[in-house]
Amino acid sequence: MAATPPTFSLPRNKSFILKSSSPLHSSHILLPNPNNNKNRFRITCEINNSLRSWSIEHVREMNKDSSVNSNTNSSSSSSSLVSVSAATSSEFRTKNAKKVVLFFCDETKSLAQKIAAESDAIELRTISWGKFPDGFPNIFIPNAQSIRGQHVAFLASFSSPAVIFEQIPVIYQLPKLFISSFTLVLPFFPTGTSERMEDEGDIATAFTLARLLSNIPISRGGPTSLVTFDIHALQERFYFGDNILPCFESGIPLLKRRLQGLPDSDNIAIAFPDDGAWKRFHKQLQHFPTIVCAKVREGDQRIVRIKEGDPKGRHVVIVDDLVQSGGTLVECQKVLAAHGAGKISAYVTHGIFPNKSWARFEHDNGGHPESAFTYFWITDSCPLTVKQVMNKPPFEILSLASSISASLQI
Amino acid sequence: MAVEKGIVPTPIPNSKKHVNLFYSLDCEELALNVAAHCDHIILQNIKWRSFADGFPNIYINNAEELRGQHVAFLASFSSPAHVFEQLSVIYALPRLFVASFTLVLPFFPTGSFERMEEEGDVATAFTLARMLSNIPISRGGPTSLVIYDIHALQERFYFGDEVLPLFETGIPLLKQRLSQLPDANNVVIAFPDDGAWKRFHKQFDNFSVVVCNKVREGDKRIVRLKEGNATGHHVVIVDDLVQSGGTLIECQKVLAAHGAAKVSAYVTHGVFPNQSWERFLHKNESLEKAFAYFWITDSCPLTVKAIGNKAPFEVLSLAGSIANALQI
Repeated sequence: MAATPPTFSLPRNKSFILKSSSPLHSSHILLPNPNNNKNRFRITCEINNSLRSWSIEHVREMNKDSSVNSNTNSSSSSSSLVSVSAATSSEFRTKNAKKVVLFFCDETKSLAQKIAAESDAIELRTISWGKFPDGFPNIFIPNAQSIRGQHVAFLASFSSPAVIFEQIPVIYQLPKLFISSFTLVLPFFPTGTSERMEDEGDIATAFTLARLLSNIPISRGGPTSLVTFDIHALQERFYFGDNILPCFESGIPLLKRRLQGLPDSDNIAIAFPDDGAWKRFHKQLQHFPTIVCAKVREGDQRIVRIKEGDPKGRHVVIVDDLVQSGGTLVECQKVLAAHGAGKISAYVTHGIFPNKSWARFEHDNGGHPESAFTYFWITDSCPLTVKQVMNKPPFEILSLASSISASLQI
Repeated sequence: MAVEKGIVPTPIPNSKKHVNLFYSLDCEELALNVAAHCDHIILQNIKWRSFADGFPNIYINNAEELRGQHVAFLASFSSPAHVFEQLSVIYALPRLFVASFTLVLPFFPTGSFERMEEEGDVATAFTLARMLSNIPISRGGPTSLVIYDIHALQERFYFGDEVLPLFETGIPLLKQRLSQLPDANNVVIAFPDDGAWKRFHKQFDNFSVVVCNKVREGDKRIVRLKEGNATGHHVVIVDDLVQSGGTLIECQKVLAAHGAAKVSAYVTHGVFPNQSWERFLHKNESLEKAFAYFWITDSCPLTVKAIGNKAPFEVLSLAGSIANALQI
């Protein structure tokens, strides 16, 4: 078989599809879309005569729903997307994923392990987290020199103000260690939920956090990439300065995959507890029947009503980005049950559940949609909650690991 | 008017500026003291609350009345948990159309333990300096940042151009207190190591001085007297901060062994993690009263609350000094 690799020089912003007619060696290469604003690069393709098929990483694009599973050892008939690192002209190997060194903190250890399990290209590294007697962090990155020239990522979790100050020094330091790029994965961006700037005196702590992150020093790879899931306020994307590139992902594809696996998957309807949730998610859930609720003022009270849609006889899944006390979900549930919903489940990306508020959610084994949930899906963006609700029906954890692993390839 | 070296001169009354002083909860007492020093300093309130998820829910009362006014914030970063809520206020205040913004942070923490010795060391002092360097500028230009006896002198270079660090010292308070002692003319200043000498010796030109240092003897490190004479004197050990107190105790032993009549100590910042101040108390008569006096300032308000007035501790308040610094 031909051993000399064909070479191409490709101009920016063009995509190119290469197909081989031989069934043994077919491969499809789709170049990254113009969002990747690196300069022109060269790809050398080597068609390998081995019996091994290509191992291809699935790359998820922003806000698009692709339901292809990642890391399939694909046969010649499947097509998938491959991202090529443009930093240097590189040999196109069987696994052309970019190698990433992933650091993590104590809270995110378990999620980090899952992410590393998704891909051989991701290597886990530890940081030594200590404390001085006065309570301040005493942090050390072992083998710091060995990460020079590597792509580095940090999986953070800002579950409370105290832990923010422990992780920020690492986040500020890693980019300065001559690494080739830095990605901060912060699955849940906190503090955006309860505050509204209504008065001049209100202080937006979400903005403070965005400022702290916007000041991450740039590395040789340019601005830091910030991967976050289902950010609460869509305007928050504008809070970030130019030294940081926010990458807004969503957990909804995980939900859709899970719904497809249910026995009554053709009887599902999606309910949005308010207009905010509808704005955030309806585009990703277009092919489901939809119900939209709204809070309506009746005299002094605010009650939840169904604004549009019909739950009768359906398995209704209430979808929102996060849950705190759970009050909104419970109100919504009552209205849906009163209108004849057969089963009610819930999905939130972020299970914040302060003060163990998850305890109020009981499991519906059949017939009690007004007081219990059939399923309650959350992701593992809030690791402290995950520890508490694991294996407690109705809760099921949908892991962000594969989604994060794919986003690290961007 | 005579100006004593090291003390900020009292400004002429006409040029006093009105300053609205906000403060963190830990600093309430110090803030009250500062406001008591000067009619032109007005205390302001912040509503500090928490959302259910633990994140701060903060509200500045009367925000619109701050327009065109000088504003200051008295902060205490005594533990990492409290940094974020104060930072939110510090980032917000300059943007309320204030005439100027001053951040008073008496004790700049996290500088004392760490040394960048290896590439993997993560310097949290630098992180804190970076966070403070990113305070938005106000109409008064860069934020003034008032810090007392910063631990490492190089730390002044950690700050970017958007903040103007003002490095103050608590030593004048000590000198004033020493002048009141009955044996004031028998006082000798001792420095526990070369670092302390570098920081402070210029302010003690009028005093006799003793310098100690740590010397290696085999595997151990012991404290020795390097220069100066302690015999028969009331020796006051001076340092910027105290943590466990080990250094001070070693120093005191050496001084006593060299015949010091009395030994006292002064540190600007009584950090004292894990109640380590307890080992210095005059607990009962039978124990040798190792330290005659132990002076600290109120830069670390939690320590001050815990110690109260238990002998040998005496708190020298920074309030007057801060009130003057706010006039700059």
